[in-house]
Amino acid sequence: MDEPILSVRNLSKTYMQGKIPVHALSDVSFDVQKGEFLSIIGPSGSGKSTFLSMIGLLDRPTKGSVFIDGVEVTKATDSEAPKIRREKIGFVFQHFNLIPTLSAFENVDIAMRFARVPKSKRKERAAELLTRMGLRDRMNHKPSELSGGEQQRVAIARAMANNPAIILADEPTGEVDTKTRDMIVELLRGLSEKGQTILIVTHDTSVSARTRRIIKMLDGKIESDTINAVGEIKTA
Amino acid sequence: MFDLILKNITQRKLRAGLTVFGIALGILAVIVMGGMSEHFNMTFDKSISLTADKIRVFPEIGFGGGDLNNSKAREVKRVTGVADAYGILQAALDPESLGFFGGDVVIGVQPEKQLSLLKDTKVTDGRFLAVGDGYRAVLGSSVAREFNLKAGDGLQIKSKRVQRASSITHTRNFTVVGIMEYTGSFFDNGVIIPLDVAQKFYDRGDTVSFILAVPDPDTDAEDLSKRIELNVEKIKTFSPEQLRKQIEQSLVIFTLITISAAVLAAIIGGLSVVNTMLMSVSERTKEFGLMKAMGAETKDILFMTMGEAALMGILGGICGIIGGGALVYYLNDYLASRGTVLFSVTPRLLAIAIVFSTLLGVLSGLYPAYRAAKMSPMEALRYE
Repeated sequence: MDEPILSVRNLSKTYMQGKIPVHALSDVSFDVQKGEFLSIIGPSGSGKSTFLSMIGLLDRPTKGSVFIDGVEVTKATDSEAPKIRREKIGFVFQHFNLIPTLSAFENVDIAMRFARVPKSKRKERAAELLTRMGLRDRMNHKPSELSGGEQQRVAIARAMANNPAIILADEPTGEVDTKTRDMIVELLRGLSEKGQTILIVTHDTSVSARTRRIIKMLDGKIESDTINAVGEIKTA
Repeated sequence: MFDLILKNITQRKLRAGLTVFGIALGILAVIVMGGMSEHFNMTFDKSISLTADKIRVFPEIGFGGGDLNNSKAREVKRVTGVADAYGILQAALDPESLGFFGGDVVIGVQPEKQLSLLKDTKVTDGRFLAVGDGYRAVLGSSVAREFNLKAGDGLQIKSKRVQRASSITHTRNFTVVGIMEYTGSFFDNGVIIPLDVAQKFYDRGDTVSFILAVPDPDTDAEDLSKRIELNVEKIKTFSPEQLRKQIEQSLVIFTLITISAAVLAAIIGGLSVVNTMLMSVSERTKEFGLMKAMGAETKDILFMTMGEAALMGILGGICGIIGGGALVYYLNDYLASRGTVLFSVTPRLLAIAIVFSTLLGVLSGLYPAYRAAKMSPMEALRYE
C-alpha cells in the first residue's frame, strides 16, 4: 500500500467549558489514501467539525498528530500554517463563504494570488476550473447573482485552484435543495475519480451513502469505519 | 493586491469618501496655515538679508516710546568703526490700521541715504528720491499694485497728530516719482519719502524712529553694536544678530500655529480613518478568516488593510493639496489687490503635506490591520 495522503494519529481535543473539560475528540486514528472519497458522519457534538478544523489547521489538537502528504501539519508554526493551507488543503464550506464583492472568477483567482501564482497562469486556471464546473457563462457574476448550487461550485473551483492534496468539505450541501445536493455530490465524486482526495463532513446520510467510505463518529470517537460498496447514484 | 484594495474602497464609496474628505480638510488646514508661516519666514529672511549689514539704534525707552533726536546720528557716526549713520522715521500709511499683517509703512529717509537703506533694490518705473524733493514718494511694488499707481500719479497720505485729548488728521497729496521692483521683503509695502518732509508732515520735530548704523567693511557688527551702546548715551542697539533672533522668536508663533493645525488635522483625519477601517474590518471578519483559510499570510492581510488606509490618506492628501492650493491662490489674488500677499505654497510644504497624509493613513490603519490579521480563521468563519 502507498503512503497515505492523510494520516491521523491519536488525535485528541479537549475544550474547557468553564471548569468542566469537554472531550470533543479522544484518540482518533485513521488513514486516507490518495483519491479516496470519504465522509465523516455523526450527530451534532460527535466531534466531526472539531476534527475537520484540526486537519485543516484551523484549530490545534490537545494531543496527537495529523500528517498530510507526509508533512506533520499539527506541528506547523503560525508562520508555516498559511503555506500548508495553500498547498495541501482546499476548503469547501456550508455557507459557501465566497467574497461578496468579487466575481466568481475573482473568487477563484484570489486563492492563487495568496500562493503567488503569476497572473497569466491564474487567469488560465480559474477559467479552466470554472468551465469544468459548468460556470463558463457565469464567471463575471457576483455571488449574490448566483444560485446556491452555482456558488458552491465556485467554492469547489476555488478549493481546487492550488491543486491541494485534499479537499475538506464541511456540510457542502447544507444549504441547497436536494437536486443541487445530488449535483454537488456527483461533481465531488467525479473529481475523486480523477485522483482528487475528498473528505466530506455531513450529517446528511443521503450524502454519505454516495461516498466510498463512511466514518461514523460518536462522542469524539470513531464508532465505525466502513467501505461503502453501493456508492453509485441513480439519477431519477 | 492593489486592485483588491481599490475594490474595497470603491465598494464603500460614501464612507470612504467622507473619510477622504476629513483628511482633505485637515491637509487643507496644513496647506493654508503652513503657507502663511512659509510666507512670513520667506519675507523675514529676505528682509533680513536686505538689512543684515546694519545696526539699529533705538531710544533707550523703546521703539516709539521715547524721542530719538536725529542729532544722535552724528554721535553714532563718530564711534570708531561706523561708516555711516542716519535716521529713519517710520509710520503706518493708514493711521487707522494697526499695520500688523504686512500693513503699508511710510519710511522717511534722507534722499542721499536711500541707496544705503535699500541696497541693490532698483526702481522699475521713474526714479529714486532726489535731494530737495518735497512731497514726493517712491513706492514699494505691493503698494503700487494695491493703489494701482504709476510714476507721476498722486498718493494721499494721512497723518494723525495727537493734540491734548483729541487728534487731528491731516491729508497731503504726494507725487509718486518711482516704483521699486518686487523684493519679497517689507520694502514692498514701503512708501519712501524724504526725511525732512516726513518730520514736518508727522509733526515730529527733528526726531526719528530709529537710526541705522552702517559698519566699516572690516568691522564686526556685533562688537560695533556694543561699542555704540557704550559710547552714545540714552540709546540701545540691535545688532543684526539680535534682530534676527528677535524676529525668529516672533516667527515661533507662526510655526506653532502650523504645528497645531497639523496636529488637529492628524487627530481628526486619523480618527476618522481608524473608525472607517475598524468598521470595514469588523464587517469583513469572515472575509479575512476565509482568506486565512485559503492560505493568506498575515502580511497579505496587513498589506490589504494598511494599503486601504494609506490610499485613503494619499487621496485625502491630494484633495487637500488641490483644495488648499486653490484656496491660497484665490486668497492671494484677493489680498494682492489689497496690497499684501499672505501665503507661499513651497515645494517643501507640498512634500510635507503629502508625506504627512500618507503617514496619517498608514499609522491609523495600523491597529485595524493588526486586528484583521490576528483573527483566527476558525473564529472568523464561525462568526455570522
